[in-house]
Amino acid sequence: MKQDMSLAMAAAATRDAPAKIVVRDLSFFYGQQKALKNISLSLPEKSVTAFIGPSGCGKSTLLRVFNRIYELYPKQRAEGEVLLDGRNILDRSQDLNLLRATIGMVFQKPTPYPMSIYENIAFGIRLYEKLSRSALDDRVEEALRRAALWEEVKDKLGQSGLGLSGGQQQRLCIARTVAVRPKVILLDEPASALDPISTAKIEELIDELRADYTIAIVTHNMQQAARISSRTAFMYLGELVEYDDTQTIFTSPRQKRTEEYITGRFG
Amino acid sequence: MSLAMARPDEAARSAAVRRFALADGLFRGLTRAAALLVLVILGGVVVSLVEGSWQALSTFGLGFLATETWNPVTEKFGALAPIYGTLVTAAIAMVIAVPLGIGIAIFLTELCPRPLRRPIGIAVELLAGIPSIIYGIWGLFVFAPFLQRHIQPAIIAATKGIPGLGQLFAGPPYGIGMLTAALILAIMVLPFIASITRDVFETVPAMLKESAFGIGCTTWEVISKVVLPYTRVGVVGGVMLGLGRALGETMAVTFVIGNAHRIAPSLFAPGTTISATIANEFTEAVGDVYTSSLIALGLVLFVITFIVLAAARSMLLRLERRAGG
Repeated sequence: MKQDMSLAMAAAATRDAPAKIVVRDLSFFYGQQKALKNISLSLPEKSVTAFIGPSGCGKSTLLRVFNRIYELYPKQRAEGEVLLDGRNILDRSQDLNLLRATIGMVFQKPTPYPMSIYENIAFGIRLYEKLSRSALDDRVEEALRRAALWEEVKDKLGQSGLGLSGGQQQRLCIARTVAVRPKVILLDEPASALDPISTAKIEELIDELRADYTIAIVTHNMQQAARISSRTAFMYLGELVEYDDTQTIFTSPRQKRTEEYITGRFG
Repeated sequence: MSLAMARPDEAARSAAVRRFALADGLFRGLTRAAALLVLVILGGVVVSLVEGSWQALSTFGLGFLATETWNPVTEKFGALAPIYGTLVTAAIAMVIAVPLGIGIAIFLTELCPRPLRRPIGIAVELLAGIPSIIYGIWGLFVFAPFLQRHIQPAIIAATKGIPGLGQLFAGPPYGIGMLTAALILAIMVLPFIASITRDVFETVPAMLKESAFGIGCTTWEVISKVVLPYTRVGVVGGVMLGLGRALGETMAVTFVIGNAHRIAPSLFAPGTTISATIANEFTEAVGDVYTSSLIALGLVLFVITFIVLAAARSMLLRLERRAGG
């Protein structure tokens, strides 16, 4: 069984683009509790990888390891290796702020900063770049256009980001993530708090972003995973049960548990 | 069968609804009465202050506010010195306590190692619980002599001859005086500002902070650009509560300010505040005009506090408008 998987992975790796992120034997602990058990997988560059599995299976935890946001909390620690372009980001010498600017994250609920729409985008850019006013304007517009939000907000850039609808706020958060030009974008159930129309917009957006970014998305919505991802990982109780092309996972999964989960028999 | 059951049910239900309506009405009346009581008490305070101070205000007119003299013998009273003392000591106290308090709150919520968090938090709250009379005797017997011996001579020597600063820190080191009172006030309001600010900092959603860290912000950037703007209403509220206490604090200030009715350019000189004057002189106020002047001082303090609160409100409104809220 284990051999099967590594075979499939090897096969997939040769089919796909070069790996952007390689996870090697990663374990994660909340205090004593082991939430991720020796995970190994690789995310191909400029593609969408979906993580599915029942609540508590560790998929969000895995995402939170990729930008080391878990380190904000004591008693949480990761063991193993996560290589971004061949460099281990779990290494102590890794600069955290730089890492997080390189690997952007969008959260479950929209989290606009308490400032204007324009500032929400410009804020992140200014942290790392010194731009003239007009160059900054261009970057803000570009980011908002990428997030398909420009037409809706171009006349009210000075207003608070908190005044937007939930779907708009979430696209604002994606825009602000894109604006700092990361290499990888992590999406932690980005559409779970949104209505179907906003969800469709977010999905379209993800589809456009895949051309330039390596995207990892956690979702509870299996149709969503099937629609937008090219690779899917099924996790259960902190283990990576199966990881393959999305097509394969949803049509002919190798593992019984995967099949049971995606057909809705448990989870 | 369900129909047969429905009838008696309905009667019982409408009886219950009537009972609820009565209880609801009663409850509404009670809460409204409680709210109205606040207005009545406030109105009563204002009316009795105005009534009590009427004699002084009609004798001295608006000049009461602009006169420095306070002479019980000739019965000439002016409120300028206590107003000056109140505003200056409170302002200095806030200049010291606000950054310190917010700093403590930031440390406690964002930077403090977990095992230290509770002890420091409790210590801050204990500081708030110390009665002001204790600050007063500590200020008079410990803090003021310490300042007199070690701090004030050094400052006087260091600023001598510097224009502006030299005058601000001139004169003999009495120990007691305006600056000592302001320092005591700063210590007293510090725990209010620190603990309220800490409480509102803790209301910032973890996800919002994570998302700021998530684009590569440093802790300082997260605090200054996200946490503080998000909590500004609460922080300003805490600062205002502290300022309210600094303006009105009586006992500790009375101990250490020196109670002199004059305006001196030096912060080391003794002065007085509104509440210190009232507390000191109420028992010896024999004449009607004297008593009335003291009550007028109380009215002035009331108005100052009101203006401060109103200014805080309008400042918040302006902040909100600028943020596009």
